[in-house]
Amino acid sequence: MMTGTVIWLHADNLNPHCAALQAAPGAPAVFVWDEELLDEWKISLKRIVFIYECLLELPVSIRRGDVAAEVAAFAQAHSAQRILTMASPSPRHRLICQRIMQQMPKGSRLEVLRDPPFVETNARLDLKRFSRYWSAVKYDALRGKK
Amino acid sequence: MAEMRRDFANREELIAYLREQFPRAAAVCDDVPAEPLGGRRAAEERLRAARLRDYAATRNFLDGAVTRLSPYIRYGVLSLAEVKEYALANTRTRDEVEKFINELGWRDYFQRVYVEIGDDIWEDQEEYKTGFGAHEYAEALPDDIRAGQTGVAFIDDQIKALYQTGYLHNHARMWLAAYVVHWRRVRWQAGAAWFLEHLLDGDPASNNLSWQWVASTFSTKPYYYNLENVLKYTGDRYQGDPAAFGHQAFVGSYETIARRLFPRIDLSFDAEPRGKRR
Ligand SMILES: Cc1cc2nc3c(=O)[nH]c(=O)nc-3n(C[C@H](O)[C@H](O)[C@H](O)COP(=O)(O)OP(=O)(O)OC[C@H]3O[C@@H](n4cnc5c(N)ncnc54)[C@H](O)[C@@H]3O)c2cc1C
Repeated sequence: MMTGTVIWLHADNLNPHCAALQAAPGAPAVFVWDEELLDEWKISLKRIVFIYECLLELPVSIRRGDVAAEVAAFAQAHSAQRILTMASPSPRHRLICQRIMQQMPKGSRLEVLRDPPFVETNARLDLKRFSRYWSAVKYDALRGKK
Repeated sequence: MAEMRRDFANREELIAYLREQFPRAAAVCDDVPAEPLGGRRAAEERLRAARLRDYAATRNFLDGAVTRLSPYIRYGVLSLAEVKEYALANTRTRDEVEKFINELGWRDYFQRVYVEIGDDIWEDQEEYKTGFGAHEYAEALPDDIRAGQTGVAFIDDQIKALYQTGYLHNHARMWLAAYVVHWRRVRWQAGAAWFLEHLLDGDPASNNLSWQWVASTFSTKPYYYNLENVLKYTGDRYQGDPAAFGHQAFVGSYETIARRLFPRIDLSFDAEPRGKRR
């Protein structure tokens, strides 16, 4: 039976203290350079070097290619049916999560974790302009600082 | 797929390996700055070095006490909440820390907008408020801009810095973006994609929405500036005869500049339109 956990890290959260690494200390972790995205964005070498240096401080296996296929293969190679990843605002992250699940055996789980937010708010924020957002969150962001 | 290497004797070896692994990235631009280094250790060092108490008064100046934390924040190496907590703990009063936390708020805000609009981050959020329709802006970035040879000294210097360091001060980003969109009438998307090639902190949310803010497709009026504003915030670097530096197009009051750039509309004039807001 497959019971293990693996962690999929991506470039929107390379924090060694992120919730995923803390939730499963010692679990195998993988980062995949997204070949399709590299084609699309044409980022220059200095950006790649910076990200790579961040990765070298993390306990992570570094790969490249089709992200979903690599993550699913990594999980299966470690007999894992549970994958942890960190939240991302990018629509591509959601798409890759779906593709991963399509390639995982039935009963597998993918959990998207979050670090503590910049501000705790239950209010539905009006995002039309920054000024509206800021007046709604300012008090909490400054936490009563005098 | 095979694993990529993790063992390197030094940074040169790492860079050589990545140059070979990612030849197209090296073809876009082969420069790698000596700093900043990626990773949590360097991030924490930079956070401890931040001169937060001087931030509010000096942040608009190119040599002001900005933190240069952006690449670490962009990749989540430091979370926005961690940086905020550190700032609250390491300043004395609300006055001292409010501006800095407000700027962190801009990032949080842009991230939230991105969650809502997704790939539409590449679409005009609103019409241009410049008197021009989107179709009147060029699609592609002109070659002289890409080459950093516009003939405008402070613009060309910033373009070189972008290539060599992957970082620009916020004010320089605003000047460069406004130059591309308003002085050269190029669609903001072309400039935004170009920035993302090079900025170490390059992020579709902060970058594209800032470009849209400058362009006026995500704000109530376009951002523009004049030579005086550049001189004020760059110290004595460009003092002297403006014409000699190719700065003629930037000379004049805000009103003069606005008439030149946006002849079809009537903008109301503040002494320093919106420069302070960011
Ligand atoms: C045309 C244009 C493009 C930009 N592209 C990006 C981008 O791709 N990535 C990016 O992170 N920022 C971008 N910005 C915002 C801003 O210029 C940078 O975040 C800031 O200059 C980074 O330098 P710093 O870390 O020294 O900032 P500091 O002034 O020290 O601010 C601290 C942190 O707050 C956040 N921040 C500060 N100002 C802003 C702002 N106006 N908008 C959003 N976040 C802010 C950043 O995370 C920054 O690291 C852009 C601005 C403009 C005008």
